[in-house]
Amino acid sequence: MLESLHHLLSGFAIATTIDNLFYCLIGAIIGTIVGVLPGLGPIAGIALLIPATYNLNATSAIIMLAGIYYGAMYGGSTTSILINVPGETASVITCIDGYQMAKKGRAGPALAIVAIGSFIAGSIGIFGLVFLAPPLAEAALAFGPPEFFSLMVFGFIVLSNVTGKSLLKSLMMAVVGLIIGAVGLDPVTGLARFTFGSTYLLGGIEFVAVAIGLFGIGEVLVNVEQPAEMLEQKVLVPRLRELYPTLQDLKQSIGAILRGTGIGFAVGLVPGPAPVIATYASYKVEKGISDHPEDFGKGAIEGVAGPESANNSACQAAFIPLFVLGIPFAPPTAVLLGALLIHGVTPGPMMIGQHPELFWGVIASMYIGNFILLLLNLPFVPLFANILRTPKKVLLPLVILFCITGMYTVNNSVADIWSMLAFGALGYLMQKWEYSGAPLLLALVLGPKMEVAFRQALMISHGDFGVFIERPVSLTFILATLLFLLMPMFRPLFARFKKGTLSRA
Amino acid sequence: MLLAGLYLVSLRLQPQGATPTQEPGPEIPAAKKQLALFLGAMALATLLYKPLGYPLDSFLLMLALLRILGMKRWGFNVLISLATAVASYFLFVQWLDIPLPKGWIGL
Repeated sequence: MLESLHHLLSGFAIATTIDNLFYCLIGAIIGTIVGVLPGLGPIAGIALLIPATYNLNATSAIIMLAGIYYGAMYGGSTTSILINVPGETASVITCIDGYQMAKKGRAGPALAIVAIGSFIAGSIGIFGLVFLAPPLAEAALAFGPPEFFSLMVFGFIVLSNVTGKSLLKSLMMAVVGLIIGAVGLDPVTGLARFTFGSTYLLGGIEFVAVAIGLFGIGEVLVNVEQPAEMLEQKVLVPRLRELYPTLQDLKQSIGAILRGTGIGFAVGLVPGPAPVIATYASYKVEKGISDHPEDFGKGAIEGVAGPESANNSACQAAFIPLFVLGIPFAPPTAVLLGALLIHGVTPGPMMIGQHPELFWGVIASMYIGNFILLLLNLPFVPLFANILRTPKKVLLPLVILFCITGMYTVNNSVADIWSMLAFGALGYLMQKWEYSGAPLLLALVLGPKMEVAFRQALMISHGDFGVFIERPVSLTFILATLLFLLMPMFRPLFARFKKGTLSRA
Repeated sequence: MLLAGLYLVSLRLQPQGATPTQEPGPEIPAAKKQLALFLGAMALATLLYKPLGYPLDSFLLMLALLRILGMKRWGFNVLISLATAVASYFLFVQWLDIPLPKGWIGL
């Protein structure tokens, strides 16, 4: 405990060097812009900026890229409140009460409570990280390939259960991701798979191309198709002096902020698009325990404070599985994993010991980043809102240009641009037909790791599949997976049982 | 050249696509046409990325996309495209030192 605090302090020393403060600031600003712009979320934002970090050391790079992630959470809420358009999915719920507040002329307090709530959530979340991550990493040191494999299977099933509307569609996307991940050289024997004689495919399909394609180009294409009159929006920009919330607002929100923080952190540890789920959960809780539930949907400040705090702490908690297990459970952290690997850092149980400066520096920078965002957001909200006044017809081509250039710079390869465009078209179709991209991206990143773990486990056991159920930790994950898969089948049974007992009583 | 060709095509198609007040039928096809042109322009720009070089290619792509999205004022479009190409050239090539294709204009 004390040791962790000591490490955290040294992390602050790293994060507060001029260089790292600068990159943290840049990341926070870009994140806010990415969050404000509809059609460009944290996933594409992080992926696009990876090439810009090539010349940086790993710590500064991850500080900047992590800043994009939580900065986007802030930015997304700005558009939700001001124009009723969520900048990214974690802010969908904020539209409900946030926009109603804005319509009543209370956009200022709504924006302020988002900033304050996110800051409080971030401050509490950081202690969660500091005290949870090291012991978890220690426990995970005992994990061998069988445990990692079972854990990843569990992660997949949970993720597919909670993303999108249909479990079947999510599982299908996960399988597509696994197949794409299998293209290239076999990670164990080095044989070429699914390359059809192409030298480009030997290296596998560039995952940045998939990320930018699905989540950047695909979004833009969906936006292109929207009717012209939808492209221009009225922006309700508050004046600076209207920004400050009243004491009453603060009193009303503090409970929601604290509950949101707790919910968000717990949800963030679970596989899935944590910030999104956390906001829904928090909103439901706030509405449920409120003594004036009729105000929700008409501009209740708790309906803004709770979910926005929740998505911020979920976003922080999502770093725990990434850093401690090396297994990203949410799409943005999957992209961060890619960035870490590019910089020669393999996250996992050993990372805290091997790269303490990176682990603690990034954690400390998140705290600083939250503070920067607080300073940045309150006075500059009108400025960010002005970005929204740029007509979409200009914005969309700019995003495309940035995607193409960003993609090219990853490997200096035009072939990568082609992959990106292909995945862009796929992403567009997936959105049209309501397939979620998250399972695909995660499967693409996790697939090869899962395969290696699976094959190593079988090598250890000399081909005996019992290895996955003989080891207690692995068995636990397998049983949990089965439970998750079988639950929907038993649900009608439960319902009938319940009905039966009720009618008898 | 191809990009320019596509561009002329888009010119002819756009007037119908951009005004949504025409006969009830073709509204959705117009959106699809726009989408197809948008995709086509991106594909062409990718094809010509190396031969044309980054500054010229980005300028033409920007111009084409603006037009396809229904921006009608030529001067304004050229201005924005030029500004984007020049600014991004300085940002990526001069400041960030990213080696983007030079193409035949040699920038």
